[in-house]
This record gives sequence, C-alpha cells and structure tokens, in this order.
Amino acid sequence: MIEVRNLTRRYGQFVAVDDISFQARPGEIVGFLGPNGAGKTTTMRVLTGYIPPTSGTVRIAGVDVMEDSLEARRHTGYLPETVPLYPDMTVREMVNFVADLRGVASRRARVDEALAQVGMTERAGSLIRSLSKGMRQRVGLAQALVHSPPILILDEPTIGLDPHQVIEVRDLVRGLGAADRTVLFSTHILSEAEQVCDRVLIIAGGRIVAEGAPDALRDSLQRGGRVYLRLANAPELKQVRRVLGDVAGVAGVESESGGFVVQMVKGMDARAAVAGEAVRAGWRVLEMRPWGATLEDIFLEFTASSRTIKRRR
Amino acid sequence: MWVVFKREMRQYFTSPIAYLVAFAVLFLTGITFTSDLRARSGLAPADGSVIQGFFAFVMIFLAPLLTMRLLAEETREGTIELLLTLPVQDGAVVFGKFLGAWAYYTLLLLATLVYPILLIALGNPDIGAMIAGTIGLWLYGGSILSVGLLFSALTENQIVAGFLSMAALFLLWLADSIGILFAGISVEAAEFVRTLSLRGHLSTSFLLGIFRPEDAVFYIGLTAVMLLITIQIVGARRWRT
Ligand SMILES: Nc1ncnc2c1ncn2[C@@H]1O[C@H](COP(=O)(O)OP(=O)(O)OP(=O)(O)O)[C@@H](O)[C@H]1O
Ligand SMILES: [Mg+2]
Repeated sequence: MIEVRNLTRRYGQFVAVDDISFQARPGEIVGFLGPNGAGKTTTMRVLTGYIPPTSGTVRIAGVDVMEDSLEARRHTGYLPETVPLYPDMTVREMVNFVADLRGVASRRARVDEALAQVGMTERAGSLIRSLSKGMRQRVGLAQALVHSPPILILDEPTIGLDPHQVIEVRDLVRGLGAADRTVLFSTHILSEAEQVCDRVLIIAGGRIVAEGAPDALRDSLQRGGRVYLRLANAPELKQVRRVLGDVAGVAGVESESGGFVVQMVKGMDARAAVAGEAVRAGWRVLEMRPWGATLEDIFLEFTASSRTIKRRR
Repeated sequence: MWVVFKREMRQYFTSPIAYLVAFAVLFLTGITFTSDLRARSGLAPADGSVIQGFFAFVMIFLAPLLTMRLLAEETREGTIELLLTLPVQDGAVVFGKFLGAWAYYTLLLLATLVYPILLIALGNPDIGAMIAGTIGLWLYGGSILSVGLLFSALTENQIVAGFLSMAALFLLWLADSIGILFAGISVEAAEFVRTLSLRGHLSTSFLLGIFRPEDAVFYIGLTAVMLLITIQIVGARRWRT
C-alpha cells in the first residue's frame, strides 16, 4: 500500500512535484505516466526515501517515510532510472550484495529465485560489465525483488531497450504484480501503461492531470477528439453534415481520403451517437476509428495543454 | 557494515591502483631502507624510525589514491541511490568503506615490517620503539584515510577528491611549521595550528618509542570527527531544505 498525501517537492525555487495525492493498493499495478520532466523520478525518489519531500506525507505499508525511513525502505524494492549496478561484479555477486545488505534470510534460495524470475539464471556468473542493457535492466529487477517486497517501485524499466526486450520486460513486470504486491511503474509511453497497468496516473508539470483505468482513460482522452468514418455507399458531404451536424457533441464534418472526419466538441464523446445516426440514415459503416491523433498524440496534446495552463497561472 | 567492508576489501584486490600503491610503497621504502643502511654502516646502529617516518610521508600522497574512489564513484555511477534506499544506516555505509580502506592500509603497513625484521636479524635495534612506531603509524593511517574519505564524499570526481585530500593532508602534515607563521599574530593560534600537525604527533613520540596518550587521542579523534562529518555529507541529501 502506497499512500501519498499533498506531496510537494521543490528544487530551490523550481516546483518539480506540485501537491499530488494518490494511493496504490495491494494487488494493483499502477502506471505513472508522464512526459520528460513531469516529476516521475522525483516522486519515486521521495517514496523510496532518497530525497525528502518539501511538504506532504508519504506512507509505505503504513510507515511514514520521514518518520521511520529504514522501516519503510525494508518494505520496498526499487529500480532507479539509472540502473545502479557495479560493473566489476558478477550478476550473482551483485544480487548477493543487495540481499546481504537487506539481511535476507535463506539468501541462496532467494537469490536463485529472483534470478529465475527475471530469466538470468544462466548468466549468473557473467560480469555485469559484459551484459547488454536489457540484461542489466533484469539484474536491476532481480536486485529489487530479492527480498520479495510488498511494494515495488520501478522507474522507467523499459527505457532504452530494443522492442523485443521491451516486450520481455513488460511481460515480466505484469507477472510481478502478485496478489498482495503493490507495483508503481513509471513510463512515458501511453500504450505501455495501458498494457501493463491496472490503473494509470497521468502526471505533467508536477501535477496529476488524469487518473483512471486505462480503458476509461483512453475514452476520456479521446473525448473532444476526431473520428474517421468510412461508409460503403458514400453519400455527399452535404448530406453527412446535415445528418450528423445535429448530433449533440459534434462540432463539424469534413471529407477526408474517401471518408469523413467528424470533429467532436471538446470534452464530449459523441461516438455512440454518431454511429447510431449513421445506421439510422441507412449508411453502411465500413470503418470508424480515432482520426489523426494516435493515442500518443492525444496524450501529448493533453499533457502539453495542462502545462500551458500551469504556466499561465 | 561488514557487507560493505567485504566489498571494498575485494575491490582493493582487483584494483590496479591499489596494486600500484602497494608497489610504490614497497619500492620507495626499499630504496630508503638500503640507502639508510649504507649511510649508517659503521657509524651508527640502525634503527627503524627512518623507514617509518618515510612511510608516513609517502602515505600523504598514496592514501588519497586508496580513498578517492570510495564515495565519489558511487555518486557518479548512481549506485549511491541504491545504497541509500536500502534499509542500511548511512553510518554503516561510510564506516564499512572506511574499514575496508584501513584494512588494506594495515596490510601495507604489515608488509613494511620486513625491514624491522631484517634489522632484528642483523643486529639488536630497539624493538620497543619499532612496536610503538607501528602502532603510531596504524592510528595515523586511520586518520589520513578518514580525511581522504571526507573529500571523496564531497565530489563525484575521483581525481578532484584525490588532489584535494593530498593538499589537505600535506597542509596538515606541515601544520607545525605553518603554526610558526602564526606566532607573530597570536601565540595561542600558533600553538593550536601546531597541535593539528600530522607529523608532530608521530615524529616526536611514537617513532622514538614514546607512547603519549594525547597523540593516540589526536589520531583517533581526528578519525572520528572526519567520519562523522562524512556521514553528515552523505546523509545531507535527505535533509529537508
Ligand atoms: N537534482 C535536481 N535539481 C534541480 N532540478 C531537478 C533535479 N532533479 C530533477 N529536477 C527537475 O525536476 C523536474 C522533474 O524531474 P524528474 O526527473 O522527476 O522528471 P521525470 O518525470 O522523471 O522525467 P524523465 O521522463 O525525463 O525521467 C525536471 O524539470 C528536472 O529538471
Ligand atoms: Mg525520470
């Protein structure tokens, strides 16, 4: 269980994290989604006791990180953004080192298990110096897992990996969400958060700008977006405008590459109504999908606008 | 703490710099030893103090090579973030590293005991003085390593840490001479600076076979103060600003 209340962190005058509050419950994989400089790493560093908050409280497994930092750290496994490994150690030595510092009981069994979980058993004897980036990422994960922590904090575990390794690490993280484990996972890739997480927090400019299950979030992000509509017995643009123009939430219609682009009113989702009207008008719908903006673009737009709002204040 | 200590010890046995330091110590003391013997032959009975004084002096420059890495590298590589988010006290990390460096220094010191042993085989020098000298050098080593560790905590650049500690140690070594410069201003100030001298607490006591408690207290106290400051520097990241 992670409980963050009114957390603010400043670097000098600069506000990196601005009064955020959220919770992550056991059994949940929570995605921390935001563009570069959003404040993800800063928040995670406060959660793990590396830097103090300027104000606000953080409780890890019920323990306040400022009041009893050591106890809070005992419950946490942490993979920092720059994977902290000693290049002159072998994989097993590295995980042993962390297990020893954590005072893990039955060390050998736990280290073996952690290495098996991340699929590094065969490379246990290799020097970390000689490993690829993806493998180092796995060793970093093994190190964070070795004491089977109830809380796991992973800072961009897929950054800088090739697509193949990205998929492997995503699968791995999804598998790590056990019944009573809380996983907080940061990324700046929306589709990744969608694939891996049960719930997503979108952070931009140090504030949480949206929160919810990936599906719900996708819907709310697309609200006010554009939809591409392709019809079999293509009617005239005028006719389409007449039929769809009256639907609540539709701002306008343009013709576009053999179909039509329907612009929604900002903040409204008229997709269901548009589909209903199209069918009632006797058109056969071949295709209906988000237009122009991919999820990524919409997300960018969303976080960018929240940033300009902030700047104006 | 012992986990950190073990890692640092192992590190010294795989690090080329540590081997270079060991080589330099044995080579330089070896030269000093033979030239000292030759100069004295037939004139004065050999004693161990020349070689021990020399050992103390070269350590001003070699000890920083042993300590510069300790914390600066952790900061540069980001592994400090791992250490400081594990359930381990900052003090245990600092102390473990200090003990690792001191243990390696102790091995170097023990290696230079071949010279006193040779002297014992050749003649009958003052064994008591040699033992006192060795204990003095051991405590002295702890204090200069703790100074080096402090500078390693201050910067993420190993080279900077190394040079700053050499400079600081050199000034402290000469503090008795520097103290004289203050004499014109105030006798108390001069006296105070003089008591900070690293060599003053060695050359006039331990190396002559005299054990003065205040000298041992000086080295142990200096070590303790340096380590406490280092722990504060490492923990400063966690202070609320
Ligand atoms: N030590 C520091 N001193 C001053 N400013 C900092 C420091 N660390 C981070 N910042 C600033 O705080 C803001 C948030 O940084 P943070 O590293 O938390 O972002 P992030 O969401 O992790 O971004 P990224 O996706 O690039 O990792 C950035 O504008 C950054 O420049
Ligand atoms: Mg980051």
